[in-house]
Amino acid sequence: MWTWKALKQREDGLLRPSAFRRGVVSSRASSLQLSNAKEFISLHRGAINSLEIDSTEGEGRYLLSAASDGTVAVFDTHRPTSSSTSSCASIAQHHPLFHLPRAHKFAISRALWYPVDTGLFITASFDHYVKLWDTNSTQVVLDYKLPAKVYGIAMSSIATSHSLIATATADVQVRLCDLASGAFAHTLSGHRDGVMSLEWSSSTEFVLITGGCDGAIRFWDIRRPGTFLLLDQSLSQLGTRPPLLPTPTPSNNESTSLPASSKSSSSTPILPAQKRRSHKKIQLKPPTQSSHPGMASSQNRATAHYGAVNGLRATADGFYLLSSGSDSRLRLWDIESGRNTLVNYEAMSIQTSKPIQLAVTPDSSLVFVPCLASLKAYDLWSGTTINTYRGHYESVNCCFFNAQYQELYTGSNDRQILVWSPSIPAATQIVYLYILGIP
Amino acid sequence: MAESSQSKSGGKKRSRSESEGDPDADADAASLQSIQLENDLNFTDTAIALQMMKAQFPKLDKVVVRPFILRSQLYSSVKDRTQVDRDLESLKKEAVVRVFKLNTGKDDHAIMFMDDYLAQMENAVKRYDAKDKQLSDVFDWFKQYVIKSKTDVSISHPELCSLLSNGGDVTEKHVTLLINAGLLTCQLIDQNLYWFVIPNIGSILKGLSQGRKELLSLINRTKYKEMVLANLEKKRLRLSPLDIRFHIRDLIGSGLLKTVQSPIGLLIRLSRD
Repeated sequence: MWTWKALKQREDGLLRPSAFRRGVVSSRASSLQLSNAKEFISLHRGAINSLEIDSTEGEGRYLLSAASDGTVAVFDTHRPTSSSTSSCASIAQHHPLFHLPRAHKFAISRALWYPVDTGLFITASFDHYVKLWDTNSTQVVLDYKLPAKVYGIAMSSIATSHSLIATATADVQVRLCDLASGAFAHTLSGHRDGVMSLEWSSSTEFVLITGGCDGAIRFWDIRRPGTFLLLDQSLSQLGTRPPLLPTPTPSNNESTSLPASSKSSSSTPILPAQKRRSHKKIQLKPPTQSSHPGMASSQNRATAHYGAVNGLRATADGFYLLSSGSDSRLRLWDIESGRNTLVNYEAMSIQTSKPIQLAVTPDSSLVFVPCLASLKAYDLWSGTTINTYRGHYESVNCCFFNAQYQELYTGSNDRQILVWSPSIPAATQIVYLYILGIP
Repeated sequence: MAESSQSKSGGKKRSRSESEGDPDADADAASLQSIQLENDLNFTDTAIALQMMKAQFPKLDKVVVRPFILRSQLYSSVKDRTQVDRDLESLKKEAVVRVFKLNTGKDDHAIMFMDDYLAQMENAVKRYDAKDKQLSDVFDWFKQYVIKSKTDVSISHPELCSLLSNGGDVTEKHVTLLINAGLLTCQLIDQNLYWFVIPNIGSILKGLSQGRKELLSLINRTKYKEMVLANLEKKRLRLSPLDIRFHIRDLIGSGLLKTVQSPIGLLIRLSRD
């Protein structure tokens, strides 16, 4: 048994405690099964669109769920409210701590905890409103009216100098709402169609990543206008990190004779006729076009996916970005070089109409993707399918990985929240819980 | 033995001794009857897989098309998909193969060797006689400047004009000529972007999508939604000029069918989500 041997090695000093903990965590994360010890009783009458556990330091306890009937509920994942008595086993049942029946008029697409503590939460809905709620009194504190239906919101969990909520709507502009002042801070324009998914960078507090219905993924630095990076699926690198030495590009003589500026797509649409065989190009650039890196990319039409980008997730270390598109592809991007790492995640079919929520384990080993009525877990680096979780009756919309206890929560169109917990024999369960420090 | 099987159906079957990348090559030589797809399903290397599948491309009577391979077929043949993607990328950069995006279904790509594509282009250009002889220089410019330098599946209008104008003055009529000859297509999403296409492939693509549907419905009609591969191989598809091995590889690679080992051999089963 892996654990007993490893335990002995740890005792003897052959295995470091941190390595032991990592091994235990990763073996638990890869052996998830539908939990037979825990269930959430969901009172939602509509498809569950968003699940989130608060990210307070050391204690991720409260699960916030939002559904398409405009209801919001909060569950305590530690203490069950009752347990169903059946003959052999009793399942701990978690009823919602509170359930708001009419939080919004239409479907809620996303509900987030305030990153600092659980005193506030934010909901965004198809009725064009983003509302800020006080958890204890369950009252709306602030609301923002947006011009189109809101597909997603995000708040940076590492932000210390700003408290901005980024909103992704069916309108082409991304709006930043300021919590401190209650007004809109600024708008980011550049997308050519609605924006479906967005995410703040996990390494710096000023970088926002948005994925649009036009298939483009843009990186914005909110301190200045414009996109500074656009991910292009045809720019790729072989390997998960860019090569150390610059590889010589096998270009032909004809192409190297052209000056580099003629290749950029930000030049004028119709080029004037050129002289025969002339290597000098006369470009008619509009005089007002600045060389500001942000402005140049407004004409850049590079796409990251052949369809809409409906899910974005950055790894915890901030090096890689996962994006899922409605072309049923999941791509892994190296953020620093901005290139496609060409990791191929085996066949999946992703629903195309709604934004989905992906989940990645904090040690960046597994990625969980909702694929129609099942959830698939892939190895992040090689793309092989580790597991398929079948339990829902209809399409799964969202999933959340609770890193503390290695549990996975999934919500789907069948109005249920399912819990997937590590399947280990009961005797070792006690040992694990002791090692991980769970009371 | 292998020769008789070659004349049977449209697909070419090579004799055992020629297969290099076949992992089962040295297993049971006694049960050699005809080379079955079951033993030929996996290859070790992308380049070898491409060569093998090009050799197995069915002979079509009505249309002359040089062999092309679908990306999903590569995925079904080589185990590691990421390696396939990376190998394909390096082959693309070396201009050994060219990748085209097809409009049948989502994320379909066709891979063709560069010399095959150039030969196909020549045929298409010969067949399409341009009314204005002046404009037909654009085909040479296209071949010389655009194909060699742009290895992507699509090209934007300004870039196309700038690359073509290395040959001479470019007007809109030249671009129209390229589109009419079947070498470029406009993208629906964006008027400024063009896709590279394999000319004269339309009827085959129609056969491809119809053949896929027919094969899936064939398996769907069985009681347990599965069929032994050996039996499936012998069937002929009515609606598609391509042979059944082509479709089987394609559907396995795109995840709609899956292979299951069983005591009687390999089974093909419809995969449910």
